[in-house]
Amino acid sequence: MIIFGKPIGRDKHLDSYIKITGLHFARGHRAIFNGANLNIPRGKVTAIMGPSGIGKTTLLRLIGGQIKPDSGEILLDGKDVTKFKRKALFEARKKMGMLFQSGALFSDLSVYENVAFPLRAHTKLPEDMIRDIVLMKLHAVGLRGARALMPSELSGGMTRRVALARTIALDPELILYDEPFAGQDPIAMGVLVQLIRLLNDALGLTSVLVSHDITESLSICDHAIIIADGKVIGDGSPAELRRSESPLVRQFLNGLPDGPVPFHFPANDYQSDLLG
Amino acid sequence: MIDFIIKIGRSGLDYSAAFGRSGLFFLHSFFGLALSLKGLKLLIHQLYKVGVLSLVIIVVSGLFIGMVLALQGYSILVDYGSEQAVGQMVALTLVRELGPVVTALLFAGRAGSALTAEIGLMKATEQLSSMEMMGVDPLRRVIAPRLWAGFISMPLLALVFSAVGVFGGLLVGVDWLGVYEGSFWSNMQSSVDFKEDVVNGIIKSVVFGVVCSWIAVFQGYDSEPTSEGISIATTKTVVYSSLSILGLDFLLTAVMFG
Repeated sequence: MIIFGKPIGRDKHLDSYIKITGLHFARGHRAIFNGANLNIPRGKVTAIMGPSGIGKTTLLRLIGGQIKPDSGEILLDGKDVTKFKRKALFEARKKMGMLFQSGALFSDLSVYENVAFPLRAHTKLPEDMIRDIVLMKLHAVGLRGARALMPSELSGGMTRRVALARTIALDPELILYDEPFAGQDPIAMGVLVQLIRLLNDALGLTSVLVSHDITESLSICDHAIIIADGKVIGDGSPAELRRSESPLVRQFLNGLPDGPVPFHFPANDYQSDLLG
Repeated sequence: MIDFIIKIGRSGLDYSAAFGRSGLFFLHSFFGLALSLKGLKLLIHQLYKVGVLSLVIIVVSGLFIGMVLALQGYSILVDYGSEQAVGQMVALTLVRELGPVVTALLFAGRAGSALTAEIGLMKATEQLSSMEMMGVDPLRRVIAPRLWAGFISMPLLALVFSAVGVFGGLLVGVDWLGVYEGSFWSNMQSSVDFKEDVVNGIIKSVVFGVVCSWIAVFQGYDSEPTSEGISIATTKTVVYSSLSILGLDFLLTAVMFG
């Protein structure tokens, strides 16, 4: 479901909530992004997929300004994140939320206090109003009854749902999901899939999820981007990607063990290696 | 040979970079404490964790060290017929040296390592990153209260250590070995100078407090976010803090009493 159409008369690049141009980023001598360009449309769920270790989480951290690229531009709602000073960056982050793979709940705070944390940090709301907001957010993820529990008492799926409630506590414009389905049982995965879609549509968010769970990601996203070799190799709707002729896209979407991404790590000839 | 030189150069650059990072980190955290009710609450909570919970080890160690000092001092002084000076010896040793130094060493082992492990684990479990992404600066919210709690706690703990140590000396010297109590206190009063001895001891413990807390929080914040990384960082905290305390103690003693 698309609830945000193309705004009339708006500058064309603003149709993208995030616009990345010429992104270069390396860890040591290893290039992670090598001139990547991508657009993330406003008001939609965008899935960023790719093989493990390709830099998907790094991309989220670059968008969130936690790390700086070597070169390139990352426009967030028209403003370049890479040029933000520390204070401006923290201000910009109030409008975005990130769901970490581990949930990253504060282990010394209860579920209730975890969700109340951003509200207490950024607002001067009275305590009874904070309570109402926290309960509403927890209700949205189905965990209003778990408010008194500590993070150590939660299952993996519940941890992520509480983290999601905390992420939406300040009603952000953008939510970044880092591998939301990794290590989840089918029920927890189904709940998360539904929540991501529902929250995006109900709150009018822009959602970006990085994942290598193809089926789940393609089932909820409006737009998908596949990254490999530091570049975007596939970009479009799930249906368009499924029709792609690119061998790399096909290997990834069909989960083939060998192809353009080889099964074997580069090595010397097998026979000569064995014979010494 | 070239490889060896490269290695030395690289580790030199790494250490310089880490030192630069730790300097910036210190400045951000030092001036980052929120001057509000929220900031005060966080500081009090950390003062409890860092200071109050260290009291048991400080009091017990202070008592035993005071008792040992009195015992050792008496056995030496009695040969010269000066056993009445045992109170003076215990007090000066504690206030000038052992109070600040042993408190700092115990602080590094008890509170410093705990701070490093806590912050390192917060980093490994992405709690610091999630805080950043919520627009909350972890240097202000997590690091600054812990750093300031260390600064404030250390001199107070050192004072408690010295006071309890004097009491331990009294127990052994007066109650056990039979030194006249009037001489014990009067010798102490006449020889311990507030400015020369007590204030200098406090200055030492303030310096140790800054160094120990800085090392502890920086090692935690800069640790590799793995179990091995946290273990290395915790070890570094204890080793670097202990060496810094002993080295700085020599320098400060040379300046103050040399």
